[in-house]
Amino acid sequence: MANAPVAQNSDCGPSVTNVAARFPSIRVIIGTLCLLLFFVGCSVRRVVFNEVVTPEQVSFIRIGQTTLPELVDRIGAPDEVTESEIGVVARYNWSDTKSAAVDFGAPGRLFLPYSPTMTLSKAGINPEQFQVVFDPQLTVRTYGFLRRNTDEPIVWFWPF
Amino acid sequence: MLLFRPLAGIIVVLVLALTQGCVVSRGTVGEPLQEDAISAIKKGTTTMAEVVSLIGAPDRIVRGNDREIFHYYYYDGKSPAMLLILLNFMRMDVKSDNLYVFFNRNGVAEEVVYGKRTSRTEFRLWPFGD
Repeated sequence: MANAPVAQNSDCGPSVTNVAARFPSIRVIIGTLCLLLFFVGCSVRRVVFNEVVTPEQVSFIRIGQTTLPELVDRIGAPDEVTESEIGVVARYNWSDTKSAAVDFGAPGRLFLPYSPTMTLSKAGINPEQFQVVFDPQLTVRTYGFLRRNTDEPIVWFWPF
Repeated sequence: MLLFRPLAGIIVVLVLALTQGCVVSRGTVGEPLQEDAISAIKKGTTTMAEVVSLIGAPDRIVRGNDREIFHYYYYDGKSPAMLLILLNFMRMDVKSDNLYVFFNRNGVAEEVVYGKRTSRTEFRLWPFGD
């Protein structure tokens, strides 16, 4: 009896299975809506500051030979020039900040007039710097990356 | 003519519906640096006063190796965002132009360093990838 086909009663209208079979696109629409519902309240933000300076880009630098104008010709002007006890320091700054959040109260706002905010959020700030120290003749004395983090900040909301 | 009115209305409604939740914003810091003024600075001849009259007062003055260094900067940021009921995407791209004029003890320009990055600032919405 359990496996017996469901009898159709024309008075009650077509069954759900028949509607789905007649309109296969309904399955796609429902599936898409379910998938979208899964992402309700998701938020992804990214802030990119300046361009990355890679070790390959600065491999041409020769200590005691490369000058500031030559450096600028290859990788552009520095973001900052400061004085230190050993000479003028040129700094190239860049950063890539990614943040993601999920608001678990957002689905409620689709159906209810008010739904409280319940948000988990995480931001990964990845500031990096390339420093070059020049002698009084503006020739490179030393250079290096202040911080070279190979781990890219990932888009993930879990803050714990 | 009467046929065009409903069509125009539909197009307007469609455009509004498709662009709802879109945010486009832009922020700048300072004034763009004028390249003709920068190229007018001649090493060994242009004085500090002439540089100020050409470009204006510097944003910062740095002292290094017995030199005065004038620093001029300009920042340009572009940020498109898509704030939908379901999803929020936002990306901001910020780049800077920098000009440094190195003066010797006599107040004469001895080096000019200029880099322009803001021309490569883009409105990019997709926050993933490079």
